[in-house]
Amino acid sequence: MPTPPTTPQPGAATAARAGAGGRSRPWGDVVLGSLSTGAAITIVLLLAMIVLIVVVSAWPSIKAYGLPFLTESTWRPNELEETLRDPQGRIVYDDDGEPKTVIEPASFGAAPFIWGTAVSSALALIVAVPLSIGAALFIVRVAPRLRIAEPLGFLIEFLAAIPSIAYGIWGIFVLRPFLEKHLEPALRWLLGDLPFMRWMFFRTLADGTEVPIPLTGRDMLAGGLILAVMIIPIITAVSRDVLRTVPRAQVEGVLALGGTWWQSCAAMLRYGRAGLFGAVMLGLARAAGETMAVTMVIGNVNQISLSPLAPAQTMSSLLAMDAGDPNNPLHFSSLFYIALILLVMSLVFNVIARWLVVGSKARTFGS
Amino acid sequence: MNSPGSIPTATLRSPARLMSALMLGLTGVASFLIVAVLLTVLGYLLFRGFGGLSIDFFTRLPTGNPQDPGGFANGILGTLILVGMAALVGVPFGVLAGIYLSEYGGRGLGAWLVSPVRLVCDVLAGVPSIVIGIVGYELIVVPMKGASAYAGAAALAVIMVPIVARTTEEMLRLVPASFREGSLALGATKSQTILRVVLPAAGGSVITGILLAVARIAGETAPILFTIGGSRLLPGDLDKEFPSLTLQIYNAARSPAPSEQQLAWTGMVVLIAILLVLNLAIRLATARAIKNRVGG
Repeated sequence: MPTPPTTPQPGAATAARAGAGGRSRPWGDVVLGSLSTGAAITIVLLLAMIVLIVVVSAWPSIKAYGLPFLTESTWRPNELEETLRDPQGRIVYDDDGEPKTVIEPASFGAAPFIWGTAVSSALALIVAVPLSIGAALFIVRVAPRLRIAEPLGFLIEFLAAIPSIAYGIWGIFVLRPFLEKHLEPALRWLLGDLPFMRWMFFRTLADGTEVPIPLTGRDMLAGGLILAVMIIPIITAVSRDVLRTVPRAQVEGVLALGGTWWQSCAAMLRYGRAGLFGAVMLGLARAAGETMAVTMVIGNVNQISLSPLAPAQTMSSLLAMDAGDPNNPLHFSSLFYIALILLVMSLVFNVIARWLVVGSKARTFGS
Repeated sequence: MNSPGSIPTATLRSPARLMSALMLGLTGVASFLIVAVLLTVLGYLLFRGFGGLSIDFFTRLPTGNPQDPGGFANGILGTLILVGMAALVGVPFGVLAGIYLSEYGGRGLGAWLVSPVRLVCDVLAGVPSIVIGIVGYELIVVPMKGASAYAGAAALAVIMVPIVARTTEEMLRLVPASFREGSLALGATKSQTILRVVLPAAGGSVITGILLAVARIAGETAPILFTIGGSRLLPGDLDKEFPSLTLQIYNAARSPAPSEQQLAWTGMVVLIAILLVLNLAIRLATARAIKNRVGG
């Protein structure tokens, strides 16, 4: 090297070789470097473009409804012709004796779908989280002795890779009839007579009468259960990986102090809690964004009902149902507004999950 | 982890031991329940699907007539073409981005980009696929005034790129630094080092990442729901309505006719069989890659 670099910094040697030696960087380096940097930048642009398209397409709806869109519960893609009533509730007639009508404009609000996504995801987590973490503990602490950790792991990983449409078909043809004929009648038989459980089985009409909710198996409960089945593999697999990284000393310390098997497991869970929470967030992100299986079983009715036995609609299932042929530009734009909510939600969940899971691994490996 | 400690079975004297035994039982029950439910799903799919397997399914087109529903030949071919088109774009992009994340992290222009790009990859991989579907609809189908294979393949490629990029990165990082240092010390340029030393050393496992991504997009329905349009004919022009296996399964599953529903089950089994073959290929490739690395 003719002129040694004056400041010995890491990386300065290569720069000096290229610059001071009078040689330019080999063209292969330039090509590969710019191609791969270009690919990386393209990925960033891709996400930016997705966000931009969603925001721009949603803009007319954002302008028309603003933030109250999130709490507005009417979703009416078409104009509605209604008979005009006077303040006393009587029908108003015109000169010819025909009832007068008013045209209600189309109106959009996301509340039923936010409700649907929130409740179905919550149901899924309530079912899936205890089962998944229990199974992850079993796989890490018990299964290796029984020599079934490998096959269990393979099964769970394979099931995590099964497409959601498969779960959807199973939901329509197996889960739905099972709920309709067995589980839901059993629930009604068990709980239906309790006065404080009536909200689950009866719907109150505008005039105060209660009508029983028909048990169809196409309802919020079905949506929540199918989501639970779908997120169990991912939560189990990630929890297992998190628990495996817990140092042996954590477990052995508890046992050496005379702790029981469960107490040592509890120490493990405590140590890995951030990563486990991350696993749950990953499951939540998947549940909230899941489309096909939910669309096939949730009943697709745009309403807010407290009862898990009533049909509902999630944000993603609404997109699947409506975005194919929108009725008018504002309808289409409102669908993009909902896509924007979904996008922001998945962004938040995934960033939190990544931070927790990667964070817990970094703590263990010290890298 | 080979866990230490004893599974308490004999002594149940104290409440703590009782609790321990109870929780041990519960974790066993949880595992059993999960395996039982998942096996029911898989078993039922296989059981219902195998019943409808026939030559017709692979060679005939769907007729739309419940008396003689035909087969899904066009869907199988359509899915293969769509996945191939998506991979043609998504794989080079993803591998290059993975190379960037793993090899250009330390120094040089744009090194500051590495962790934002990594974050963006993870976020992009988590975007609900239905959102990617309607963005594809707005961006390609609306301007082109019609659904097309291009629109569907573009949506699938967007789903594929971050997965390939992140797995490629992970696999390249497993290649020991001494490989790179040795190559550079022998006078090889950076690009020669990456292309002739690092990539071949990671070889099998990079392919694993690609296969994982292919398996994922082959089963996707939501992103192609609005972008390819579906067709009863064999795949033809790429700028016209295009058939796909998953879309046909979805539509057949919603049909009231039992014969069409049977097609959905059979289609599902064929799709799962394709995924299972890929999954086994992934396992073999990974096992070989690990063996090579340990051996070499």
